[in-house]
Amino acid sequence: MTMCPVCGRAVDEAAAKVQTGQTAHGAKEVDPKQGTRQFHDGKWYYFDSLGCRSKFTARPDEFLKKPAQ
Amino acid sequence: MNFGFSPEQEALRKEVLAFIKENLTPGVIAEVEGEEQEVSAGEESAGRKGLARRGPHLSELYRRIGARGWLGITYPKEYGGQGGDRISQYIVEEEFARVGIRVGLVGSGAPAILAAGTEEQKRDFIPRLISGEYSFALGFTEPHAGADLANLRCRAVRDGDEYVINGQKIYTTAAHVATHIYLMARTNTEVPKHDGISIFIFPMDTAGITVRPLVTIQNNPKAPVGTTYGAARTNEVFFDNVRVPKSALLGGENKGWRVGSTGLNLDRVGASRYLISVRRDEDIVNWLKENRHEGNSLGDDPAIRDKIAEMWIEAQVCRLMTMRSMSIVERGGNFTYEGSAEKVWAPEHGTRITEAITQMLGPYGQLMNGSPRTIEKGIFGHNVLGSFQSGINHGSVQIMRDQVARRGLGLPSQRKAQGARK
Ligand SMILES: Cc1cc2nc3c(=O)[nH]c(=O)nc-3n(C[C@H](O)[C@H](O)[C@H](O)COP(=O)(O)OP(=O)(O)OC[C@H]3O[C@@H](n4cnc5c(N)ncnc54)[C@H](O)[C@@H]3O)c2cc1C
Ligand SMILES: [Zn+2]
Repeated sequence: MTMCPVCGRAVDEAAAKVQTGQTAHGAKEVDPKQGTRQFHDGKWYYFDSLGCRSKFTARPDEFLKKPAQ
Repeated sequence: MNFGFSPEQEALRKEVLAFIKENLTPGVIAEVEGEEQEVSAGEESAGRKGLARRGPHLSELYRRIGARGWLGITYPKEYGGQGGDRISQYIVEEEFARVGIRVGLVGSGAPAILAAGTEEQKRDFIPRLISGEYSFALGFTEPHAGADLANLRCRAVRDGDEYVINGQKIYTTAAHVATHIYLMARTNTEVPKHDGISIFIFPMDTAGITVRPLVTIQNNPKAPVGTTYGAARTNEVFFDNVRVPKSALLGGENKGWRVGSTGLNLDRVGASRYLISVRRDEDIVNWLKENRHEGNSLGDDPAIRDKIAEMWIEAQVCRLMTMRSMSIVERGGNFTYEGSAEKVWAPEHGTRITEAITQMLGPYGQLMNGSPRTIEKGIFGHNVLGSFQSGINHGSVQIMRDQVARRGLGLPSQRKAQGARK
């Protein structure tokens, strides 16, 4: 488990990555309800929602400096 | 200058129409509708395998279309095409697109391969894109790179004879049904941003690719055939240490910006892109002719007739712009802003006509697919949603206007203009 850097909600990064399906031509598919992620400065960050991730995309330094409570 | 079709072209259109009449069987129609439903099935489709492969009726239909020489008409014969002319392609595409059958290569990525691919890439990809065995998902947009695409951060790092890719894409239409991804990634971080980008094409089953469904306004309820441009479902795509051979590179390392933008521009040339807008005019004209609404024929109403005529005139502009683009490309002319102009007019015409239809039909125009009282499977309501979609995807109308200003009118680029004002 990790924490959404924007709102502080718990995000299960393993669940966000676990394979729940397969595309027509063989790529792993994941469950969209399990949050999303972003590759930032060589590291993946996990978010509970696209909404939180958009805030992070706009101002990553703000959320990395001061973790949400 | 002759705006008419030649007798041979008129004969071709007749031949295509007769072919469609004979071959558009209920089995084919069911598969076309089924395919569209599967492609747009969104979250519910996650987890099922083997979607969007052609059924037996469609496979046979495409075999017959191919036997007539109507697939890949303008592509060279050595790459599986017919070495034919654009206007023939236009006629064939237009008539098949009207019945929901895709025969053109609009949005396929094929023009970029023809322009920038190695001999091996041309021989591998073009015949299979023409036959439909291969299809690409276009991996351009990222959370921090859309209209400002050159900001993309997805990284590809050279490691011996391979590249290692890490990063992500968003709004990747059809990643769930495509055989390959056509990916723009950063291969150099030390140079100006446009000069450090490369394009890679590799199979979707390459280890390390993850697809996360991202459904759009056209997904639920499901959009009927012909109301969306492309698949209704998009995706996020993640790349975790994805290793691809250097032969996956299209057009050389760090040459991706030019290859990609030229390819995107050429990929807009074709009848199917404009037809989605014009079909809405045809749909409402046919509906008004054939139906009475709450006891009246709406086609008798002067206000409605006036609006329909106005919109039909606009629709003809879409058509003429498309034909102009095709004719420029046919003559090998310099094709720079014309496709962009078309990509502003047709989507915005689509928005105007669907809005007008909503007014004419009142609440009936807003009943969606699956509603028990819906008319024409909800096409009018779904068209409203679809019209917004095509103003954003494959280059938004604002970006297209910027290209018209720069390439067509010779105005300074936005960045330079902003710099000058400071
Ligand atoms: C249905 C759908 C399918 C798509 N399919 C694909 C796909 O298959 N592959 C792919 O790579 N992408 C795809 N896209 C993404 C699409 O290309 C982008 O959404 C588009 O480029 C806009 O980028 P953005 O979403 O980041 O918006 P932003 O760049 O944040 O822009 C938001 C809005 O502001 C406008 N804008 C931005 N900058 C300017 C400016 N300088 N001047 C004036 N207006 C401006 C934009 O035009 C847009 O309307 C798809 C999008 C949709 C909606
Ligand atoms: Zn959050």
